[in-house]
Amino acid sequence: MKQHVARNLGLVVGILTVVFMTAPLVLVVLFSFNDSVVMTFPIKGLTFDWYRALLSRDDFWGALRNSVIVTLAVGAGSTVIGTLAAMVIVRMRPRVSALAMSLFGLPMMMPPLVLALALLTLFSALGVRLSLMTVVLAHLTFTMPFVILIVTARLRDFDTAMLDSARDLGASPWTAFRSVTFPIIRPTLFGAGLIAMALSLDDFIITFFMLGGGNTLPTLVWGMLRTGVDPSINALGALILLATLGTSALALRITGYRG
Amino acid sequence: MMGAAVATMRRNLLLVPAIAVLGGLFLVPLVWFLVVSFYRVSLFQLVHEPNLSNYARIWSDYLGPIGYTAGISALIAVVTTLLAFVVAHLIWSRGDRWGNFLLGATLLTLFGGYLVKIYAWRTLLGREGIVNNTLVGLHLTDNPIDALLYSPLAVVLVLVSYLLPFAILPVYGALRPIDPTSLEAARDLGASPWGVLRDAVLPRIVPALLTAFALSFLVSAGDYVTPRMVGGTRTQMMGNFIESQFGLRMNMPLGAAMTFSTLLTSIAVIAAAWIGMRTFLRAK
Repeated sequence: MKQHVARNLGLVVGILTVVFMTAPLVLVVLFSFNDSVVMTFPIKGLTFDWYRALLSRDDFWGALRNSVIVTLAVGAGSTVIGTLAAMVIVRMRPRVSALAMSLFGLPMMMPPLVLALALLTLFSALGVRLSLMTVVLAHLTFTMPFVILIVTARLRDFDTAMLDSARDLGASPWTAFRSVTFPIIRPTLFGAGLIAMALSLDDFIITFFMLGGGNTLPTLVWGMLRTGVDPSINALGALILLATLGTSALALRITGYRG
Repeated sequence: MMGAAVATMRRNLLLVPAIAVLGGLFLVPLVWFLVVSFYRVSLFQLVHEPNLSNYARIWSDYLGPIGYTAGISALIAVVTTLLAFVVAHLIWSRGDRWGNFLLGATLLTLFGGYLVKIYAWRTLLGREGIVNNTLVGLHLTDNPIDALLYSPLAVVLVLVSYLLPFAILPVYGALRPIDPTSLEAARDLGASPWGVLRDAVLPRIVPALLTAFALSFLVSAGDYVTPRMVGGTRTQMMGNFIESQFGLRMNMPLGAAMTFSTLLTSIAVIAAAWIGMRTFLRAK
């Protein structure tokens, strides 16, 4: 009897927690189609007006363009650099590789505000002009650890005998990588890149301090948030959600990553 | 032998770009930031004379805000870690369609848009929001409760909701390798469900619980967007004070000193949490 109570309590608390966690996103999507400025139930009618209002803004298209540039550059840069590092880390002795992993993982644990301000202080001392380039560089710091983590985990399961036989048959390291390793780990690389892109697309704090002028999608949301109630934010939120969920769902499916 | 050594060295060259990113864009800026925290500003220029005046000012003026930030962040981290454990345990112990559904929901909320979530909570908790309308509609209160939004409670709610997926995944990752059937053996030998949890499950997931706690604590202690958007004027966390030194006030050295004071406090809290977990979550 008592066991049942504990079990069901866990079930109820768990489900309520998941509802609490997902409710904001469900509401954003729902109210992006709501035919009223006031966001309350019941929803009276459906409309695409908020999407139309969003798409007719000039600053939306500039922000979208900047976000696409940053996201693609971070995805590509982070994946290449992280993968090269992962290939060395898997060959290290266990203790050394554990140390390397925790060192490279440090930026993941740092609050984004600290990352942003430390870089901003250095860039201003060096006289570096802020631009999309500085945003991309800053995003590499916290997306690269995820790539290293995911690719290292994949390479550890990798059967090195195949690589050794390719090398024994006279393949150069580069040829062996291109013809053996790469085709096998390609899905993982693609997935890791998409996760890096999703993280980059969602970042507001670092982007805000690193972006000299103009907007990306999150800084556009920030500007709209400060002007008050504007249901176009729901439409923009739903679009960002669609993009990040699309990329991350694809990434998770491809990598088979489960926690 | 020489060939092998050269090959290893050449392979290590692949690490260079990653080391450049970690060193040039993370470690060097942090060290410089620490150095700057000992400088001062005069007429919008950095004065390169090391002194402790920034830290002295924090000691006299900002201990209250640092304590407040640590307190509210600890509350958020404890609640997040507890709820994350409940959900992760549910996903792990069910393992059926329910478990997969909950895991899917967790993964999907992971990248759901930080600012958009805050905006959604603002509309949920506002005077005309859904929570107040429901409370009034059910006649639980006569007038909408203003304090739902623009209060420390709102900051806690929003951050817990935002951080949960980040906390659930490492805890679930640690639970997953534990075989539920091995625990059934303990149950068959007469151990109570709580006994199994305490002796066979919790001690094995201490690192993951600590990760969840540390992540939640650090993000909360370094956040300024949530307190500003839903905390009201009374909820001033260290993130807000730090951020304002880089905006209006233009006092980078003081902002840097505030950052390192907050980080040091955070490390102390996380170390205390670690010691606490190791002491209490141990197989008896």
